[in-house]
Amino acid sequence: MLDGLLALLPAELASLIRALPASVLDGLEEIRVRQGRPLEIGHAGGFAFVTPAGTVSADPAAGWRPDARLCARLLERITNHSLYAMEEELRRGYVTVPGGHRIGLAGRTVLEGGAVRGLRDIAAFNIRIARESRGAAARLLPHIADRARRSVLSTLIVAPPQQGKTTMLRDIIRAVSYGDWPMPEARSWPARKVGVVDERSEIAACVRGVPVFDVGPRTDVLDACPKAEGMMMLLRSMSPEVLAADEIGRPEDAEAVREAAHAGVPVIATAHANDLEDARGRTAIRRLLDEGAFAAVVELRRRGADIAFRVARPIPAARAPTPRAGGAGAC
Amino acid sequence: MLKLAGAILVLVSGTLIGFRQAARYADRTAQIRQLMHVLQRLETEIGFGHTPLPAALERAAEGASEPVAAIFFRTAARLREGGAAVRDALRAAVDEGWSRTAMREPERSAVIRLGDALGISDREDQIRHLRLAAALLQAEEAGARDEQARYGKMWRSLGFMAALLVVILML
Repeated sequence: MLDGLLALLPAELASLIRALPASVLDGLEEIRVRQGRPLEIGHAGGFAFVTPAGTVSADPAAGWRPDARLCARLLERITNHSLYAMEEELRRGYVTVPGGHRIGLAGRTVLEGGAVRGLRDIAAFNIRIARESRGAAARLLPHIADRARRSVLSTLIVAPPQQGKTTMLRDIIRAVSYGDWPMPEARSWPARKVGVVDERSEIAACVRGVPVFDVGPRTDVLDACPKAEGMMMLLRSMSPEVLAADEIGRPEDAEAVREAAHAGVPVIATAHANDLEDARGRTAIRRLLDEGAFAAVVELRRRGADIAFRVARPIPAARAPTPRAGGAGAC
Repeated sequence: MLKLAGAILVLVSGTLIGFRQAARYADRTAQIRQLMHVLQRLETEIGFGHTPLPAALERAAEGASEPVAAIFFRTAARLREGGAAVRDALRAAVDEGWSRTAMREPERSAVIRLGDALGISDREDQIRHLRLAAALLQAEEAGARDEQARYGKMWRSLGFMAALLVVILML
């Protein structure tokens, strides 16, 4: 998987990464390239600088410094020599390259009417290495299984960045789509049709519409589509039995999750937050939790190569005193 | 008898040399025009199609004939192989294929200069660079057409006349 990514990097950068010790390469999570400053890598939860000899060091002064030419070449290669076709990506601040790796960009923003129109003078890259981890969800699935409907519950996965949210979500999708239920009582449960809205092309890493990662045989992916609109489109057109989306948080996302809940389709979504309490601090998510749109909330923590989780059952605030008819009047 | 054969040979080859020189003038005009068409199509692919550069170069070159098309096909192939930056890929393709064209230095430098900007800026900027290159080529094409009218005819008669002179001197 790393080979595909390294082929995309300029030769001197790729050979430097290749020269790293195998123990570092195995746990490699990020490669951070900043023009004129030492090359940094993130591995196994920590960070280090890469020296010109291809070893790691904690001392920034020993790091190899990429120059403007290297950055220009890196940018040219990750954009397939077509910066002009990447306006949407530059507005969002990242490019997804074949293999599902996401490359975050920073530089000088170009404004138009006060809104960010794009980026120029790009001088910092954060190459996040996407890894497919089969079986990551095997221990979690029994906790979020909907035994009455022989499917999964509506689940919100919360964690800070880099704790394995997308990895976990992808494996849940794969397992549900294959009917790969780990529980003994679920042997006869059918595989479910899964609709995935992959706004940032990270879950399935589609290349021309076809997923690179194994997201299961019964999965339909709407690639690079805004989440709220995408969830509605899938609901209308692809009759999903489970919906999945990455990093919800905007009010319109909440509206779409609500819509799916009314259609009886469980939604599995992730959100940036430290834990459940923290997630409640975000208006859109708090309202969803209060309305009972999510039957389970999973908090993730990375422990070395493993992902530890804790499942909470949020208590819907509105359900307690006056039961309304599904809360439909509210929205 | 032998003299007559030699005279005919000199006349024929002299005329052919003259025609060949004249054809080079005509070729240059035609090739500059083709180059301009390629750039125009490239502008459409980049401006409206958002086509990635390797594919855009190939599509733009499809309408042109050899040897102009080859320059762009080779550039696209180099980009697809990976490794090369656009400016280096285009420069290498020009170095390889330019001698087969009838075009001269101003056209060559316009293409090379375009390569320095291609693919590395936003849409408006790309279109600006493409239009600038097209304007340069337009001026060259007008000059080339002038030369073709003036020297084309001259070479065609000059070849024959020179051969005739040689024959007269020989006899």
